[in-house]
Amino acid sequence: MSPSTTKPAVSMTMPQPPSGSAMNRFLWNFRHHPKRELWFAWWVMVIFYSLYGVLFFLVSRVQPPPSPAWSTPMVVHWFDARHYGILAGFGVVFLISGMCAPMNALLAYSMRRMSVSRIFGYSYLIMYSLSAIPGMLVMAIAMTVGALRPDRDPEQIHWLYDFAFLSFSGTMGVFMIGSLVWLVAILIDKNGVFPKWFGYLSLCNALTEVVVAPAWIFQRGVLAWNGAIAWWINMVVFVTYTCAFIVLLRKMIEREDFVTGPLPDLPRKRVGERSDSVGAAS
Amino acid sequence: MTNLAGAGPVPRQLEERPRRFVPGQPDMWVFVLFETLLFTGYFSVYLVSRTQNRELYLQSQSHLDLRIGVFNTIALLLSSWAIARCVQAAREGAYRSALTNAFLTISFGIVFLTSKVLEWIKQIHLGNTFTSNDFFQHYFFMTSIHCIHVLIGFLVLGVLVYQLWSPARRSQQLVETCATYWHTVDFLWVLIFALLYVVR
Repeated sequence: MSPSTTKPAVSMTMPQPPSGSAMNRFLWNFRHHPKRELWFAWWVMVIFYSLYGVLFFLVSRVQPPPSPAWSTPMVVHWFDARHYGILAGFGVVFLISGMCAPMNALLAYSMRRMSVSRIFGYSYLIMYSLSAIPGMLVMAIAMTVGALRPDRDPEQIHWLYDFAFLSFSGTMGVFMIGSLVWLVAILIDKNGVFPKWFGYLSLCNALTEVVVAPAWIFQRGVLAWNGAIAWWINMVVFVTYTCAFIVLLRKMIEREDFVTGPLPDLPRKRVGERSDSVGAAS
Repeated sequence: MTNLAGAGPVPRQLEERPRRFVPGQPDMWVFVLFETLLFTGYFSVYLVSRTQNRELYLQSQSHLDLRIGVFNTIALLLSSWAIARCVQAAREGAYRSALTNAFLTISFGIVFLTSKVLEWIKQIHLGNTFTSNDFFQHYFFMTSIHCIHVLIGFLVLGVLVYQLWSPARRSQQLVETCATYWHTVDFLWVLIFALLYVVR
């Protein structure tokens, strides 16, 4: 329980941006806003997850996942049909993979703002830094190799296909433990950084990470890597969970007062009142 | 789980009583909603799979012993009864009785878990494994994911016992929150039992 729960007598007064054009307000916020790093990390998160969806589902078209039971000629044809999409999509994925750093930093920051040991934030930071490897990069590398070497033995292309999807869908342990770390931190936190229901939603998310483990065993059915339970239901939970923590992180930044102790609640907005955020100001 | 923020001198059984609409933390009811929706998804997938291969499912279901399913259900219903008595006793300030009922709940939970493991062993000896067919894939999946909920329930009950143990803690809201989780585990089992064992 590292930070004390007592507030200093003096709390931070938020400087107001000058009136003028949206660009002027944006530039002022960019240079002077006391929460600019937090808002930067939050916007990186929003942009990253938006790009992640577009690149995986629309550009490379590797999601929703194809069948694990396909024959080698079908897999080779699948790679051929997505050749340019995979190269363009995963090319951008490699470029944006560095965006994970500020995202993970913001998540760890939220845990540092809690009344819990720093161990939680550090554990989460390390785990989610590692999670980019199975959750994104291994698949991107394997798919790109398959697309760039179409002349290789079809059996090797099929191996890359299995390797890519199993690494993507079947290595959820790091995400499960990460969700559990967040769950415990939220439940024992006294500063009210996140609502308790989000802690319980983390438990739901962690349990769905367990469900994908049978994807290593089954090539057909509901528990295969493209199955109704292992992929479709899990994806609904993951999207709900991700949207929830993005919104809650935004609220956390709005409430942040840069002191220790409980986060203050936001004042009730009157109609037409401007929000005190870079997002709203810009 | 623990809301240690509530540790203060006010008697816990009286805290926030007038403002409460549901037993325990409202957040736990959000969890109940999440879990219900999640399992509704699993049950829907099971029912759709069943309609696609009704003969196989009926044949496979005949390998399950309805008596074991009934025994499992009675064990969990008794555990729910015990936790309800625990909550009632805690509300009345009878913490010794509440502790006894909490341990009774844990005991019934262990009986459930043991009988479930024995049933799995029996099915595996009969040659019905996780990969045997679609029905047993669902059977092992749903019973396993439920057993993980039971194991988490033991942790939750551990928090409940910890709360009841010392007069310095004893948050009634936390006791009811833990009970809500355990009732959810019971509720989900009743649905799994009906789907896997009863619906033919």
